[in-house]
Amino acid sequence: MTRGLWTRETVAALMLAALMPLALFWLWTSGLAGAMGLTFAIVIIGVWHLVFMLVRAQPPSLSALITALAIAMLAPEELGVFRLALGVSFGVVMGELVFGGWGRNVVNPATVALAFLGFGFPSAPWPAFDAPIAWAAIPAAVLGAALGIMPFALIVAAASVAAAALMLGLLTEPVLFAAGIGLVLLVADPVTSAATGLGRVLNGALYTLFVVFFAAGWSGAAPVQITVASALLASLAAPLLDDIAIQVWVSRRRRRHGRA
Amino acid sequence: MNTLRLRAGLNPGFASPPLAPGLGEVVTEEAVVLPPPGAKLHITPLVQEGERVRAGAPVACLRHAPAVCLVAPMQGQVARIDLMPGRILNEIVLFRDSETEGGTEVEQHDVSAAGSLPALRRLLQGAGVWPWIGRRPFGGMPGVDEVPASILVMGSDTRPFAPDPQLVLEGRHEAFARGLDALTRLTDGTVFVTWPHGLPTPRIARGGDRISWLLTGPRHPQASPGICLHRAAPAALDAPVWDLHAEDVAHIGDFMKTGRLSMTRHVHIAGSALAEARMVRTTTGADLRQLVQGLVTPGPHKTMAGGPLDGRSARWLGPRDRQVTVTPRTDPRPEPHWLIRALTSSAFPRPVIPTAALTQAFASALPAVPFLRALGAGDEEAAMRLGLLSLLEEDIALADYVLGTGGDLQRQLRALLDRIETENAP
Repeated sequence: MTRGLWTRETVAALMLAALMPLALFWLWTSGLAGAMGLTFAIVIIGVWHLVFMLVRAQPPSLSALITALAIAMLAPEELGVFRLALGVSFGVVMGELVFGGWGRNVVNPATVALAFLGFGFPSAPWPAFDAPIAWAAIPAAVLGAALGIMPFALIVAAASVAAAALMLGLLTEPVLFAAGIGLVLLVADPVTSAATGLGRVLNGALYTLFVVFFAAGWSGAAPVQITVASALLASLAAPLLDDIAIQVWVSRRRRRHGRA
Repeated sequence: MNTLRLRAGLNPGFASPPLAPGLGEVVTEEAVVLPPPGAKLHITPLVQEGERVRAGAPVACLRHAPAVCLVAPMQGQVARIDLMPGRILNEIVLFRDSETEGGTEVEQHDVSAAGSLPALRRLLQGAGVWPWIGRRPFGGMPGVDEVPASILVMGSDTRPFAPDPQLVLEGRHEAFARGLDALTRLTDGTVFVTWPHGLPTPRIARGGDRISWLLTGPRHPQASPGICLHRAAPAALDAPVWDLHAEDVAHIGDFMKTGRLSMTRHVHIAGSALAEARMVRTTTGADLRQLVQGLVTPGPHKTMAGGPLDGRSARWLGPRDRQVTVTPRTDPRPEPHWLIRALTSSAFPRPVIPTAALTQAFASALPAVPFLRALGAGDEEAAMRLGLLSLLEEDIALADYVLGTGGDLQRQLRALLDRIETENAP
């Protein structure tokens, strides 16, 4: 039988390609420190993928690189090797590999790792992003949506709510930059975001609403911290949003056809 | 919204040489009577090996429903009746009669008595129309007493390389209308007809209010029966839905007038192993080897009844097939190194990553990702809620192809349908 090409690894490779503008620009500005952090995350994640391949026969995935990129960009600074390795391991193993690898996970492993590091080591400072890097998130989102690998409805909904919040003066610039980078790296993940049309709209809107909410009420929180917390809560809510969307869809069909 | 819906779907490209002009008329030297794919028919043979039969003459009937007949696709001699244990039909092979002169003899039925509904059903069952009808849920041939909740007529076809039903209907609109009229009598519900968007729909004089036109766009799977049904009239356990091809409906229309049922059909032969693609008119159960003879390029090849997406390796044209696809046969690859296998193919079934391509592979008709997750998990209730009962393998063949899952989805769908069928068996 002839086969199409939208396999798991194709999607992972396309995701990487879409994130390339953001990754390259970040590497260029962050220099050697960023490259070291990225390499370290790749090595740790690679080891865990290898372990799960040998023990559980789970094929490794290119998505490891996406996770590594997200962690390297957004993880708190000055953690040290051991604590960073602990956080990355927890995120990748408990967030992804124990569920059967990329494609079967329910939360984004990078989000889990970042949340673990953030809550576990609250004294570590979070990174901050300048405007140019945040701008690089826009081509990433456009490429992802155009290739069909990032949920278009989610990105549009998140951006619309963000635009409305900006007009009302509820979002400051640093928070907006961090939230934009978090959107393409953590939230617009095809696997763990909502999977229905309406669910995606709600998912995107909910993410930005969480960001706005935390930015207003969480005193002393860093922009990236707000982003990570919002991404975690939004992705935990995704199955619920999907369920709502399916209920709406089924009840509409029931009204039209008398049966599902 | 409507334009969005008409643009949904995908047109995967498959290699095939250009279509040769003209329509070939081929009656193969051998032809068979086959059960519909997947159906197990217990039959009583009505002829013996060596007997001569006319085209359209009954050669077997169902053991538990003698009214439903399987008929000879051409005039000839019964060569072999091949039954499996339990008198389950495998195939009945016919040799073409070359000795007769004065054209083929076609079985004549008395259609004057078709006024009442039971008589009409008996007439169609006896003439051999039943195996042409697809039914949902679960697929196969409709039961002898089954009354469909609605009937779907495929007046458009978006499968890659499928013959255009409009081409087949050219000059036969009157017969088509008569066939539709007969169909409206078989159901209490609506007769849905899929029609390409942009073409005027024919005017139907009788029973026009019971006929509903479903306009479809050019991309697959918009005119896939399951997707159309899912949108218009979903099948349910207590509401079976039938589907028929427009050409068969036109044949029924002619049959209602003349009493002779034509067993011919337009078949498109395409595929990358051909020197030229062709459109032929042949009979049901035709011998694929003879159909593709002279068209194939040298080298090993695989002949499939059906299209590149949903075809299956076969020797004969099935009762509902209208496509033949010939692809080069590649030898099975040597077993890769264990590490390569572990890296690529150890996780089964492969996880499905939600993408826009997947949504389009279902023509945005249903929430694709939750549906595939329900299929993979074997969750009957969720899958039924999302429209499983309207679908068959042919409808998700595109998703299977697009995701590169190599037939896993179709197998999961069939397993789930079989389980639901067993659980709900009377």
